[in-house]
Amino acid sequence: MRQVRRALASALILAGSVATAAAQAKDTIVFGVSVPLSGAAASWGIGTDWAAQQAAKHINEKGGIKVGDKTYKVEVRSVDNKYTAGDAMKTVETLIGRDKVRIITQSVGTAPAKAIQALTERDGILMFTSAWGRSVKGPKFPMTFTIINTPDEVLAPIYTTVKLRHPEAKTVLLLNPNDASGQDTAKDAQKYWTAADIKVIDSLFFERSTTEFQPIVTKIGSQKPDIIDLGGTPPANAGTVLRELEVQGWKGIKVIGAGTGSDVLVRTGGAAANGTYMGLAADFDGPTATEVQRKLNAEAKTVLKESLNVIHMGGYDGVMAAKAGIEAAGSLDTKKIADVLPKTVFETSYGKATFGSKDVYGTPQQLLIPIVVTQIQDGKTVEVIRILPDELKKRLAQ
Amino acid sequence: MDLVAQLVVNTLQIGSVYVLFALGLTLIFGVMQIVNFAHGEFFALAALVVASLMPALSASLGLPLWADFLIALVAAIGAVIILGALTYWIGFERYLRDLVGSFILSVGLILFLQGVLVEIFTATPRPIEPIVPGTISILGGRITAQRLLVIGLAIAFTTMLYLLLQKTKLGKALRAVAQDREAAMLQGIRYRRISFYGWLIGVVMAGLAGALIAPLTVSQPAIGGDYLIKAFIIIIIGGLGSIPGAILGALLVAFIESVFGYYYDLTMATIVMFVIVMIFLLVRPQGLMGHVER
Repeated sequence: MRQVRRALASALILAGSVATAAAQAKDTIVFGVSVPLSGAAASWGIGTDWAAQQAAKHINEKGGIKVGDKTYKVEVRSVDNKYTAGDAMKTVETLIGRDKVRIITQSVGTAPAKAIQALTERDGILMFTSAWGRSVKGPKFPMTFTIINTPDEVLAPIYTTVKLRHPEAKTVLLLNPNDASGQDTAKDAQKYWTAADIKVIDSLFFERSTTEFQPIVTKIGSQKPDIIDLGGTPPANAGTVLRELEVQGWKGIKVIGAGTGSDVLVRTGGAAANGTYMGLAADFDGPTATEVQRKLNAEAKTVLKESLNVIHMGGYDGVMAAKAGIEAAGSLDTKKIADVLPKTVFETSYGKATFGSKDVYGTPQQLLIPIVVTQIQDGKTVEVIRILPDELKKRLAQ
Repeated sequence: MDLVAQLVVNTLQIGSVYVLFALGLTLIFGVMQIVNFAHGEFFALAALVVASLMPALSASLGLPLWADFLIALVAAIGAVIILGALTYWIGFERYLRDLVGSFILSVGLILFLQGVLVEIFTATPRPIEPIVPGTISILGGRITAQRLLVIGLAIAFTTMLYLLLQKTKLGKALRAVAQDREAAMLQGIRYRRISFYGWLIGVVMAGLAGALIAPLTVSQPAIGGDYLIKAFIIIIIGGLGSIPGAILGALLVAFIESVFGYYYDLTMATIVMFVIVMIFLLVRPQGLMGHVER
């Protein structure tokens, strides 16, 4: 009899805890984040995950997300896409299938994002991405929104700046990873360097697993380009290439179109990283940074031991965009959220922003935020120019 | 910059690390008749220990960089020996001369150790500054003093391994076991004990390669993957279980990477390596210096 009573009590406790967990799960929205948490691109993923967690914490502290008269808490679950299409697909399948995620607030990398789109677009899952390549955007992908500046926003300003500051430069050599991200970047870079009246003398690629860069560096050095554009090369690899280039005696202008930050680049490249122009880095301690960015950056330096970059900040902004979309739509229906997002002005880490650039991509799915060109000077990221998009100015004035 | 000299210098600097890495792998195969797919994790462990300890030692002890490196190197090899002993006692000891069992075990070990390394060291890339600064020109080919030091140390470690195998009692036992296990046992050689020593020497070679590469590259838990693939190519070309074959194979692979990487690209260099591997498997499966099993 005692055993029966014990069994009944255990069953009741179990049922109670399952019911509580179910109730908790019901009032929580789980956002997915697909980022590289290992490998050479890990510095992008670790910071992005951290920034997304901070956004969720910030939202929860302010009371959560309101949908009608119901309030939801936010939870962010990050998976390691290893910056590869295969791992991105596998891990996001888990997020969608097991965790019932309906919104991916950040997907880092063009190749992973393109792979995920096969699932997200088919199943109506909303995806915010920092994918650099143009091929993830447009009318064919109504559920995909880009959360950071991309080649069409960044390359013309950075290349024009380089051209103005170094009028003697006539040739450029491109180096990118050999995948969808790198190939898209190379194509765009070719277009914008030509527009800036600089001749592209070669476009080289390397596998992401490459550890020995000497052969490729010898090839670069022997072609004597005035400028080397490392495009979408991850910071750890870019630093190694710059260091080896210096060893082999090359002294030219260094550009990383998708360069995101100086910390890892300077640690790997040392003094060779100085002078590098970057299109995706920002000084989040500087006078032009917002209060949110300064606070996040200060915390990141303590927790992650490195400064945040633009891709990391996309982790924060993806969560904020998802919150704004849900609240504006008054629904968790992702199609309704996607419809309402381009009409919504919302708070990001950069201040108020919205989605636009329909004239460039055919659909208004590009986040409009300041475009910043920076340069590494004495190991620090220094802002060279800052441009606020005209479309954002107009929308904010309305 | 003299191109030929630079390509030769590139070959030597790439090949020096490949030699150490592949020597360990081929030695383990020779003695234990198993293929250690987790070899890259021992390499990564040593690189990560050096890359993590060096900055901490520099900040706390105030010793010269070479002394910090020496301490970090000893710690890294210590960590590799401990991990090597544990993995042998817990797992590989049960799968000696069992290719399928050891394959499954070592593949599982990759996943496990990768997770452990990420948990302990995080996935953040860890660069450290060179111990020996400066750049040297050799017949027009430029190389950092640090790379030159690594080449020197790689030659020294390879020579030490060669002498150990040729001149010591342990080396003779290792070679005897690799050539004919039953005959060696009949001579009183304790196969399990010798296998254990062979395994430890093998993983220590991977650890030495990892520790030496740490100041030259960016260490992170997945760093061993690329080296493992190259090492397989090397030991197939050189001959499974053959020490001179591993040295020859490593230099050949480094040469292909250097020359084809320059004239075409690194992807083409890898394709050429795989084509050569296929040719070897079809025409000379025992490799350049391996033995034919009848």
